[in-house]
Amino acid sequence: MMSRACSKAAAQMVAILIATDVLAAHADAPAVNSAATLSSDSGAEIYQQICQGCHMAQAQGAKGAAAYPKLANNVSLTAWQYVAITVLNGRSAMPAFGTPSGQVSSGPRLALLSDTQIAAVINFVRTHFGNRYRDVVTAAQIASLPHPSLDPEL
Amino acid sequence: MYQAMTGMGLAHASPSNGPINLQGSPKDSSVLVLGAGIAGMTAAYELRNAGYHVQVLEYNDRPGGRNWTLRGGDTYTELGGATQQCQFEKGLYINPGPWRLPYHHQGILSYAKRLGVQLEPFVQVNYNAYLHNTRAFGGKPQRYREVRADYHGHVAELLAKACRQKGLDAEITHEDQEKLLASLRNWGALDQDYRYVRGAAASDRRGYDKSRGGGKTARPTFSTPVGLSDTLNAELWRSVAHGDALDMQTTLFQPVGGMGRIGEAFGAALGPLIRYNAKVMEIRQDSSGVTVNYEDVKSPGTVIQARADWCVCTIPLSILAQIPMNVGAPMAAAIRAVPYASAVKVGLQFKRRFWEEDDHIYGGISYTDLPILNISYPNSGFNSSGKGVLLGAYIWGMNAMEFTSMTPEERVRKTVEYGSQIHPQYPAEFENGIAVAWHRSPFTMGCFSLWTAETRAKHYDNLCEIDGRIALAGDHVSYFHGWQEGAVTSALDAIGRVHELAVSRGTT
Repeated sequence: MMSRACSKAAAQMVAILIATDVLAAHADAPAVNSAATLSSDSGAEIYQQICQGCHMAQAQGAKGAAAYPKLANNVSLTAWQYVAITVLNGRSAMPAFGTPSGQVSSGPRLALLSDTQIAAVINFVRTHFGNRYRDVVTAAQIASLPHPSLDPEL
Repeated sequence: MYQAMTGMGLAHASPSNGPINLQGSPKDSSVLVLGAGIAGMTAAYELRNAGYHVQVLEYNDRPGGRNWTLRGGDTYTELGGATQQCQFEKGLYINPGPWRLPYHHQGILSYAKRLGVQLEPFVQVNYNAYLHNTRAFGGKPQRYREVRADYHGHVAELLAKACRQKGLDAEITHEDQEKLLASLRNWGALDQDYRYVRGAAASDRRGYDKSRGGGKTARPTFSTPVGLSDTLNAELWRSVAHGDALDMQTTLFQPVGGMGRIGEAFGAALGPLIRYNAKVMEIRQDSSGVTVNYEDVKSPGTVIQARADWCVCTIPLSILAQIPMNVGAPMAAAIRAVPYASAVKVGLQFKRRFWEEDDHIYGGISYTDLPILNISYPNSGFNSSGKGVLLGAYIWGMNAMEFTSMTPEERVRKTVEYGSQIHPQYPAEFENGIAVAWHRSPFTMGCFSLWTAETRAKHYDNLCEIDGRIALAGDHVSYFHGWQEGAVTSALDAIGRVHELAVSRGTT
């Protein structure tokens, strides 16, 4: 019989081989998990670290071959559900930020936000940049909307 | 045929098998190609050669699209208006987009050959480059060679132990166990007793504490392997297989002088067929052809019209989703269903090639858990004196979004700051840098299409299907998303089908 210590180590090894296989990814999988995952629940911080990459610092949007919509003074934010579904599931150039159902934490290469974070950033955008929407969105409301079901191919 | 290919070990190669044959194109038949990236120029090149009247509309003032090299003197303005002047020395560059050509991407390789673009090796795996985990070994980067040797060595020892303790008797015969043991000794650098320990075998893989030499100081000192538990907990094994993925396997290539050489050569070959600074505003098809309204970027407000019998549209979906186009619901839904990945690349120029001079790293890639994710060393100009440019960051996911949100100057500054944890020479040797965040790219608004198994199942075929007189191509219409091979193979597939339709319908 295999010794107990040895079989435990072998089991650990098998677990690692499986994990490696799952992580075997496209192009430049940085094989080490990133230390810097966004842990803030502050809507302002989430906006500044993620959203302003495209929607810009004053939420003014940008124009190139196509455009990133401005979020400032934007009537499309009236229905928070529209904003939430966009953030959760992505829209064209915009990746999905919702955590796939059943997935506990972000993978190393994905930019996923929790329902709490999504609610926070939506509340921030809907009350700044000239937007004055008074209804507050909760994490529970975000949770009730459809989330992405699968991770993207990497 | 597939069986024959498998037999020859070729089945994994991309489906491009030499020049496409488009015989018997209808007289005076025309095709409008949207986008002068690799897909658009592949399509235009072949259609023109087949006798079609071809016009290409391109948003940028240069050919190539994401096939692009930034060299000293180049200027780049990103969305939001920040403009960067590349200050690299003559001959130094970074490729903000694609940067390597796997040997089995025969489509893009064949065009590099036909266009006379010279190639050189791209080093993916460098045994002397670093693997770095800020939470292991006190944050000290480890050599790939050592991590790999220790990981394989310990795995081999454990398996050998299981085998010799009869733990595998139910799995394989004794005869096979003998062979397995011999192979484990060979693979894992085990000693005579099937142990992975300090000694000649292990040092031959992981290196010596004191190197071999000549004369009186010749005798080497063996190095001591890192133990199994530390090897596992450091998690650097995650990076050990980075050169084993099909697209990363040796041999890989890069064009001499930068990836942009391919796009530039395509552009030169097509010459006046490409209309630059053309922003597509609307795509309308009718029963006899396709009309495209576009704006001259240099004189906004001027709408110009182009028309052809057929249209091959290679505009990234991130852009195309916003352009009015009368296609059926299935293709329209597919265009809107695929979001784009975020990625950032930062090039840094240093006063000297300290990674070679001090660290003996010649080409290849170091991987880290820092937000920069990796550092890639130049695969040309080896062992030369003078300045050097390396890729200081190739960032994905959440970190890419964070870097995109910064100004270009902040991105460069942070890249130098993080990289200093791996190469302490950074602060003293750094001169200048340039940062490209793909979601700020005016011509793509993202890096590449992000498919899921679900969107593939629901939308991929609809994206491929020719809608009336409009066919789509680009890496987003392939299973090589994010690779130039996807652009080439999707373009060849699309024009093959357009040609069939054109032939069957004549000119009308």
